[in-house]
Amino acid sequence: MSTTTEISGNENAIADELRRYQEEQMQALGLTASRQQWFDPVPRQFLAKDKASTTILFGGLTMAHDYLIEGALSGLGYNVKHLDCPDNESLRYGKEFGNRGQCNPTYFTVGNLIKYLTYLRDVEGKSKEEIVANYLFITSGSCGPCRFGTYVTEYRKALRDAGFDGFRVLLFQQQSGLKQATGSDSALKLDTAFFLSFLKAVLLGDILNAIGYRIRPYEVEPGATDAALERCKHRLYEALRQRKWLIPALLACRRELQAIRVDRTQAKPKVSVIGEFWAMTTEGDGNYQLQRFLEKEGAEVDVQLLTAWILYLIWEGRYDTLKRMRLRGEDGGRYGLAGKNPVMRLRMLWAADRVLRLMFYSYAKLLGLSGYHLPDMDEVARVAHQHYNNHLRGGEGHMEVGKLILNVVKRKVNMTISVKPFGCMPSSGVSDGVQSLITEKYPDAIFLPIETTGDGAINVYSRVQMMLFKAKQAAQKEFEEALAQQGITLERLRNLADRPAFAHPLKTSRHRVACTAANAVYSLRRFPWLSVRSSKEEMHSV
Amino acid sequence: MVLMAKEAAGQDSLIIGVDVGSTTVKATVVDPDTREILWSDYQRHHTKQAEKVLEFLVAIGNQFAHVRRENIRIFMTGSGAGPIAEHVGAKFVQEVNAVTMAVEQLHPDVGSVIELGGQDAKIIIFKVNEETGDKQAITSMNDKCASGTGATIDKCMIKVGMPMEEVGRLHFDDSKLHHVAAKCGVFAETDIVNLVKSGIPAAEIMCSLADAIVMQNLSVLTRGNTLRHRVLLLGGPNTYLPFLQECWRKRIPQTWEERGYQYPRDVPVEELIFVPENSQYYAAYGAVMYGLHEQAEVGAYKGIEALKAFIAHGRKAKLGENAGPPLVRSVSELEEFRRTYSIPPFTPASFSPGQKVRAVIGLDGGSTSSKAVLVDESGAILLKEYQLSKGNPLEDTKEMLRRIRDKVTGEGAELEIIGFGATGYAADVLEKTLRADVNIVETVAHMMSAVHQFGDVDVICDIGGQDIKVLFLKNGDIRNFRLSNQCSAGNGMLLQAMADQFGIPIQEYAETAFKAELTPKFSYGCAVFLDADRVNFQKEGYSKEELLAGLALVLPKNVWQYVVQIPRMAELGRTFVLQGGTQYNLAAVKAQVDYIRERVPDAKVYVHPHPGEAGAIGAAMETLRVVKRRGYSTFLGLDAAIGLSYITRNDESTRCTFCPNHCSRTFIDAKTPDGQTARYISGFSCEKGTVEDKEAVIRLTKQRQELKKHYPNLVEYEATRMFQHFYDPEPMPTADETVNDVRVTRRWLGLGGVRRKVYTRHFQRSSAEAAERRSRMRIGIPRVLNIWSTAPFWRTYFETLGIDKNNIVFSDYTSEEMWLEGGKYGSIDPCYPSKVAQAHIHNLLFKHHERKPLDCIVFPCITHIPTHLQNVMDSASCPIVAGAPNVIKAAFTKEIDFFATRGVTYLDPAVTFTERHMMKKQLFEAFRDVLQITEDESDFAVEQGWRAMDLFDAEMQERGKAILEQVEAENRLAILMIGRPYHSDPGLNHGVLEEFQVLGYPILSMRSIPKDEQWLRRFFRDDIESGRVEHALEVTDVWPENFSSNSVQKVWAAKFAARHPNVAVLDLSSFKCGHDAPTYGLIDKIISTAGTPYSALHDIDANKPSGSINIRVKTYAHSLSLHEERLQDLAAKKAELQKRIEQKRRELLGLDTQERTAVMESTGFAQTGSESIPL
Repeated sequence: MSTTTEISGNENAIADELRRYQEEQMQALGLTASRQQWFDPVPRQFLAKDKASTTILFGGLTMAHDYLIEGALSGLGYNVKHLDCPDNESLRYGKEFGNRGQCNPTYFTVGNLIKYLTYLRDVEGKSKEEIVANYLFITSGSCGPCRFGTYVTEYRKALRDAGFDGFRVLLFQQQSGLKQATGSDSALKLDTAFFLSFLKAVLLGDILNAIGYRIRPYEVEPGATDAALERCKHRLYEALRQRKWLIPALLACRRELQAIRVDRTQAKPKVSVIGEFWAMTTEGDGNYQLQRFLEKEGAEVDVQLLTAWILYLIWEGRYDTLKRMRLRGEDGGRYGLAGKNPVMRLRMLWAADRVLRLMFYSYAKLLGLSGYHLPDMDEVARVAHQHYNNHLRGGEGHMEVGKLILNVVKRKVNMTISVKPFGCMPSSGVSDGVQSLITEKYPDAIFLPIETTGDGAINVYSRVQMMLFKAKQAAQKEFEEALAQQGITLERLRNLADRPAFAHPLKTSRHRVACTAANAVYSLRRFPWLSVRSSKEEMHSV
Repeated sequence: MVLMAKEAAGQDSLIIGVDVGSTTVKATVVDPDTREILWSDYQRHHTKQAEKVLEFLVAIGNQFAHVRRENIRIFMTGSGAGPIAEHVGAKFVQEVNAVTMAVEQLHPDVGSVIELGGQDAKIIIFKVNEETGDKQAITSMNDKCASGTGATIDKCMIKVGMPMEEVGRLHFDDSKLHHVAAKCGVFAETDIVNLVKSGIPAAEIMCSLADAIVMQNLSVLTRGNTLRHRVLLLGGPNTYLPFLQECWRKRIPQTWEERGYQYPRDVPVEELIFVPENSQYYAAYGAVMYGLHEQAEVGAYKGIEALKAFIAHGRKAKLGENAGPPLVRSVSELEEFRRTYSIPPFTPASFSPGQKVRAVIGLDGGSTSSKAVLVDESGAILLKEYQLSKGNPLEDTKEMLRRIRDKVTGEGAELEIIGFGATGYAADVLEKTLRADVNIVETVAHMMSAVHQFGDVDVICDIGGQDIKVLFLKNGDIRNFRLSNQCSAGNGMLLQAMADQFGIPIQEYAETAFKAELTPKFSYGCAVFLDADRVNFQKEGYSKEELLAGLALVLPKNVWQYVVQIPRMAELGRTFVLQGGTQYNLAAVKAQVDYIRERVPDAKVYVHPHPGEAGAIGAAMETLRVVKRRGYSTFLGLDAAIGLSYITRNDESTRCTFCPNHCSRTFIDAKTPDGQTARYISGFSCEKGTVEDKEAVIRLTKQRQELKKHYPNLVEYEATRMFQHFYDPEPMPTADETVNDVRVTRRWLGLGGVRRKVYTRHFQRSSAEAAERRSRMRIGIPRVLNIWSTAPFWRTYFETLGIDKNNIVFSDYTSEEMWLEGGKYGSIDPCYPSKVAQAHIHNLLFKHHERKPLDCIVFPCITHIPTHLQNVMDSASCPIVAGAPNVIKAAFTKEIDFFATRGVTYLDPAVTFTERHMMKKQLFEAFRDVLQITEDESDFAVEQGWRAMDLFDAEMQERGKAILEQVEAENRLAILMIGRPYHSDPGLNHGVLEEFQVLGYPILSMRSIPKDEQWLRRFFRDDIESGRVEHALEVTDVWPENFSSNSVQKVWAAKFAARHPNVAVLDLSSFKCGHDAPTYGLIDKIISTAGTPYSALHDIDANKPSGSINIRVKTYAHSLSLHEERLQDLAAKKAELQKRIEQKRRELLGLDTQERTAVMESTGFAQTGSESIPL
């Protein structure tokens, strides 16, 4: 035994010596350099102990939403700050630090964060370390298939290149709920309270926006609507921040809004702004302040609500589950039902849809948004399907096509503008191509697709004016037909201008045509006895 | 001034219509009652729009002095009207609306209008709604792109050099048309310049341009709509260029025929498509018509006082708000800058009688100019020569050499040339004829020159007249480089063009620009867009000084952000060298230096003292080195070179016959010293012209084929193999066979979800008639997009169902001809790979279907594609790729249903390749009726399809593995093409891979990399052991947002290349590729951290950038050969190491050879270099 040990001991010594020698020789021959490989550590921690010292940055929705969400999250004990609406300066930052060939929303939103951090560093004099330690950015993400899902990649790249390595970007996924970025020691508690607060802010923002776009074009005293909305927003912000009971605040807001004087005898074309989610939602340079421009040019704007987007996400879940439930076997993957309970999932989604609608309509009623209908997502999908397959996703999916068809078929609006940010794959690359067929099928549609590049505003305005002219004629025609049908002259209408249909800011008339003034004219009762009977009928039906 | 219609007297109210365009102002005064034009005028404004409007209003005021101001209304239209309108109380009317109103008033029977303006192009189509009888005007305008506008025509007319009178007399002739890319104004200009250089007659070029512009507008601006007759042509170019009118008259009826549009054939075409009189006033008149619809208080004329005030003060004040900083802030700053950066004037050396001058000559033979330098043995530059190219590099060279000789000998000295080196596009012919010692590519020449001058340089930025080259260096060698492709954004021409606009000599550019106190903020990017910006800024009132300064400030942004795309310049290093002819313009230098300093505060920025001759100097320096090392020169000798005789031939025999263009060419034949003939061919406009005749082509092709045989190109192989029949599907089970099926039911109340119960039944077969029918069916599939990932599946699926293998017809490979024929359906402008799908459908419908009828065309919306990768978020297709079949359906059924009229069924079902059960359902539902199949049959065929996919993958991986192992054993390099699957289409990759193949590098495709975790582990061991990833086939360590399947595969392939020592990367990416954009930064990080040899061809589009590909290939070949040397050195060192270890062991053990081996094995020191020695 001892000999063996000796030999192996000897061998070990030789092996050690050889190893040493090898290293030495490798050094001498220059063979030590090994290839480095790149790795992206993805900083995402937000620990409970840092909650008090950390400011959460976010932004990118409408100004009302950003402001109210800030209030809601403050109410949950976070330090929050919403970023300003992205402007052309943000776009410049985005282009400098982002990848080449990105879509415009990426440049705007990514640039907006870099712009703010640069401001913190260069104007407020904070060090990079301070900024990285005390701030983080929260955004939503998705699993594609368009570039929206790679925003976070882009944020990381731009932050790295702008000198903010290690800055945290947290995201909550759209489809798979709010499971990321959470953990037992995480400061961000993505629980029911968080979700409800967030949802409340979204719904209230939506409703305020919807009311604003309805009243502003008809206001008698310029600026009255915006002033009232500001007061409402502030009131709601405080209620959310202090986690107070919302109803009194909502009623107070309603009183504010009721006081605005309007004149709905003006025939204005109703213009629906659809398109890519960000481009149609933002209110800044990202879409050339399109909504304001349209109002200035004499249109009433109909915007898409964030709630509709949430409904779309719910629809996606339901559609995908329904399509797979009765397969012979369960597939894996993101859409497959392996390991999932489809029936339960459908029920949950159904319930989510109902709760969302219920909450929306309740708040809407309290705030004074009457006669508003959230879209029927199944209907949108159905009318779009033969042109834009419902299985195709990304961006608004089939919705741009579906909304355009419904706008025309149901005479919802006089004109539809579809806003496509430069380089948007689903919108410019697919919807646009399909929409050209839709306009052929529905020659009455006044439709304008515009691509937003961030520059060349004059050309865009010019094209909008070009189409708006037609929409104005269409609205005027509707208005004149309404007058003719009701047998009312313009002079007589002036005498009726104080009727609620024309003068009450929160009153809406039943939908018959697109133009609001025309609908108001239609709502006038021609014979007093008829009105008594119809109101009786209404009561009866209730 | 034109005074029209009736006397002005007696008029009591007026409406003025003013049209402020990009070059002219047009005004009309109209009687609101009769709608008659009372007065009109039309003048160029020379960028002083407001002044011209004022002039007109004064004239109108005088003419109609009796009309009270309250009774005058004014409406303005045109791109320049915006800022002016408010000052005179005018209401702004959008141009297209104005023109529409005028046309409706004046020509109620017109069906469409085409107006070409200076900066815009508009099309109006009046469609009649069949239900209501209403007339709807469908209007469209170009966006920001200048393609197809008057500006492009103007620019090109200058390049062609045809006098205006002659242009006005020209007639359209389509017998000899040449390729002009009208897609982009800049490309068009480049093409025109090439045609001029090729000696194409001016008339042919102008006709080609007209044709390109007409086709561009017909295919893009109509957004897929067909023009209605009669067609009204408006705008300057349409009015003044008869050949353009004739071109419309030729092409529009052709589109009518193609689309089956019914138009009156008995009406002469001059009446169907016509130019009205006084067309220039239509917009102004239309503005008035618009005004008549407005309420009386709208457009009340306010007089001219406010406009005067605006002209005097308002504009400057307004500009100040948005303007940017000037180029220089103070006199002292400028002086200091001048001291540091003024390029010292070059004083040629003087020679004394009897002096013996020993020197080399370096020559840079460019396409527009040539430069030569005389450099002595110590590297000092003695003389410089410059020559504008005369199209014959031999003559240019001879002249420059003669001048050099005469200068030296003229002073009585004796000149001995000890070497001659060449670079630039003439280098090849000079190498052959003059036996040059050195023939190097421009990029390498530039690097050598800068390194010679400044030593350890990090970045070289060379901005020439035509292109930008930015080289990144490490250890005195090119680590990476970027070239501007065809795009002229940021090159010297841009500044030159701007100076020309203002009639300022380029030498005075800087002086003028330094005077500006503020600058307009141009948005950087495309040169045509910049020009559009320029026009807008002029409208806003910026002066020429300010515009010149503003443009100089854009230059660095275009270079660094648009071309180079490097945001953090500090990463590049500290020492920057600026060279290229543009550096003589100090305004450009100032902007560059400031830009770099702002981002790299401690940067050392140098300007090459001979910025224009850097290439020639580099060639000279390399010649010195080579000659010194070799000890002798191969150069023919100065006198022999000057006396070189050559024969030029330009006749019918030299005409290129490779395409219908029949370009005229010049052959320049020179005798080489060994008695051979070296031929240089000039005057061709495309690369086909570089080959003299058919035999030469055959010879060349043969040579290349021979080379290609030695070096496999798996991309090419894959592109062919994928579409072939290579797998015989198993026979369909008979109805006697039993199968397992599953019955799906919902559990009671749905609690617990869905219940699946397995049971057995017979396989269901469709009827014999249905099978018989299928055996005769022909199915067309476009060879595009996701089909490049799934082709074997589709072929096998249909073959299994009984479709004959010859009846599965894929469209042809993409080619330029195919695109020209079938690219006219689209209404959108996405990436080329997606856009070209329409041409493939056209190819199927109009080529294959004509040959033998197709029953259906299958173009599925593939939402998810298969992946080999682990831990991915999803495996989704790009939304454009997935949605393209829907877009195609819309485009081909819009006005006419091209499928229905040809009896072809178009099928575009959504299909996923990541969920097998779902896929089966989707395919059965899609093909059940058309193919009359049972679900069992379809499901069986799906399984067979997958089998074929797996076999194909396995075969490709086997081939890839063999190549990888071979190059590793031989210490050579293989080139891995990373891109999207459809980049394997030779029409999309422009054959660039072949260029490398013939250089001796085998080409790998991404599919051919083995996907066996065991095999891959060697390369990914560190990543797995450190826990960064769980699998070799994973990208979460670099990219967690990995849902886009093709992008993920590309990123993974980059990771693999970064870890395999013998793999170099060629990265292909299409212009406008949305899903490649987020990966640019990732791939750059992965590749550059590992130091893998890398070259990229981004922004690939329809046309092949041959020149740029050429330089890239040569430069990349240079770094690849260096890299291969390093690999060989490394292998030699490793062998040396093994030897030393063996020796050491011998010392330690004193064993003989046999025993030694045994001990080595037992101690684990076997000869496994890669195991024990990290690379």
